[in-house]
Amino acid sequence: MSAFVIGLLVGLGAVLAIAVVVKLRQRNMPMSVAEKADYLSTRRARMLPALAVIFVSQQATFFATISSPAPHSADGAKISAWLALSIILLFALSTKWFWFERKEVRDLLDDENTRANRNDGMRWGFLFSMAAAIAVYALTIFDTAVTARDAVHIVMTAGIAVALIRWGMLERRAHRDA
Amino acid sequence: MPEGLANRLKERRTELGLTQAELAELVGVTRKTVNTIENRVFVPSTILALKLARALDRPVEALFSISPD
Repeated sequence: MSAFVIGLLVGLGAVLAIAVVVKLRQRNMPMSVAEKADYLSTRRARMLPALAVIFVSQQATFFATISSPAPHSADGAKISAWLALSIILLFALSTKWFWFERKEVRDLLDDENTRANRNDGMRWGFLFSMAAAIAVYALTIFDTAVTARDAVHIVMTAGIAVALIRWGMLERRAHRDA
Repeated sequence: MPEGLANRLKERRTELGLTQAELAELVGVTRKTVNTIENRVFVPSTILALKLARALDRPVEALFSISPD
């Protein structure tokens, strides 16, 4: 089995493990739909910046790998784990999250204010992606070698991380009382 | 001149003895959304404004008004 497939499986496994732990912790907490949505919404607000930090911290691996003249097979696994996390985060950014919850809870978790905050996060993510793309393009003007994979990596990282941070900031502010 | 949306949501809700969570449940949103509307952080859609007005038994213009920021 190639290192890339192993990395993808590790990434997916980590996400599944987190989902199972969250589910088990909630089992002993009987709550109404509204209470549960409020509880999960608060958790999400805390999780978003943390996810952005984890996501960006993976970049150290990536830049260490591309600067290395002879990459190890484990580097492929780490990069594909990053890819798996990117796909999951993109999916989370564009859906209602908490895929294993009941429909009523998920609908409430995607109410008007959440959608507005998420859209603003996506807008910021898009703008930062474009800024990153322009920066990469500018680098190539000065004869700095940037491969297509490196460029995609940088643009995706900027977009996803900024979208997560911005959405997280807005959600935290929304939960704060006046 | 920039304009904002002033509201009397908190006054009316307190008058009726409702918590943010209870009002949120009545209109089908989370407590967070009610909180942000009351704090003038978020401007609700017409649909949500009408739902809030119905839940608080007041015409929408009695709850919301345009004000200079």
